Amino acid sequence: MNEEQFKAIFELTGYRQQDFSVCLGCKICASVCTVNDLSPSVNPQDILLSLFLGHEVNSDHALVHYCTNCYRCTNACPWGIRIPEVIRALRESLALESTFERAFKGSLKIWGRVYEPYIFMKTGVFLLKEGYLKYMPKWTEYMSFHLPHGVRRLSSQGGPSDSKGRL
Amino acid sequence: MDYAYYPGCSLTGSARRLDKGVRKVFRLLGHTLKDIPDWNCCGAFEYGDRKELTRLSGENLRKAKGMAREVIAPCPACSKNLKEANGDGDFRVYNPLDLFSKDFLSGLTIKRDLKGQVFTPYYGCVLLRPAETAIPNTSVMEEFVMNLGADVAGEKVKDRCCGGNRFFINKWATEKLSRMILEKSKGPILVFCPLCHMALTTFSGNERVVYFTDLILYVAGEEGTL
Ligand code: SF4
Ligand code: SF4
Repeated sequence: MNEEQFKAIFELTGYRQQDFSVCLGCKICASVCTVNDLSPSVNPQDILLSLFLGHEVNSDHALVHYCTNCYRCTNACPWGIRIPEVIRALRESLALESTFERAFKGSLKIWGRVYEPYIFMKTGVFLLKEGYLKYMPKWTEYMSFHLPHGVRRLSSQGGPSDSKGRL
Repeated sequence: MDYAYYPGCSLTGSARRLDKGVRKVFRLLGHTLKDIPDWNCCGAFEYGDRKELTRLSGENLRKAKGMAREVIAPCPACSKNLKEANGDGDFRVYNPLDLFSKDFLSGLTIKRDLKGQVFTPYYGCVLLRPAETAIPNTSVMEEFVMNLGADVAGEKVKDRCCGGNRFFINKWATEKLSRMILEKSKGPILVFCPLCHMALTTFSGNERVVYFTDLILYVAGEEGTL
């Protein structure tokens, strides 16, 4: 992780490095984290601690792979720290996004919306390789076809800014 | 009453059942949902950039200007993003579950009860967390089914994560998390989130996963919803 990637995490989340100084190390977040069911002794706090101390976060950290955005940690944390958003920013700054995430953003760029047939096409090889197709019989109610709607106005300026303190 | 309606991407595709259901329930209650014209994607959870998410939903709120003060967004990810972008702003943003209290639904003509049946109301994550954007009544589905004489199951897992967010990334993770919920369920599982619907359906055996709106329409006498 270089300096730029490190800085990007703060820029993306809107947190400042010193914001994480409030973290008490109580590990309440760890006690409720969903990823405990997937991987032993997961501790969201060590990501915050590394960032606070200016240390590298290992891209192999279980949460970088598996954090589900469940917000259980945020809900339980005395400071309501939005750990999943920090992890999302970490993935983005380290360019660790999955095929699916890239397809999602790609669709948004083209149409301004998620167009599911496009996502399906873009992730097709991955879905095939990873054995997703066996679920197709369960997906009949999800299948349909419609033409994409191209959003006309996607990025006018001057949106409401996030000026509220978030800690 | 008139509401501005934000369907969101999945409700125009894989979750069109939820879209139809929500529209129908509001219609039965005498409300009008007016689609926000040219709405764009809310970004769901795919962006690390908080400003980008705020910008996308801010854009949707601008497109809703002058339509109504109340905005309805059925997908939990969309309603969360819209609520956050609005803050204390011009609109009141609701997920339908914010509204589906006993009073609000009292306008329905009940044509069937649910005596002797059992359901597993399942909320998952974003409807309940974080607190700022959560639904106010975290037993809204239980209350509805119990009022109609049914039992509920799976209370212990109703706020667990189904892992749906990782489904197209690490499916074994989603499978493990979803199975933990499926195992504790009894009777149809009631959901409101398109992603929960897909994850739980994919890994279900005999369990059935339905939208809460399917159940509302069933008791209102609609055929083929449950
Ligand atoms: S949001 Fe991520 S870090 Fe927080 S409890 Fe859920 S899985 Fe763990
Ligand atoms: S719950 Fe909050 S304060 Fe406690 S260790 Fe986790 S992040 Fe730090």
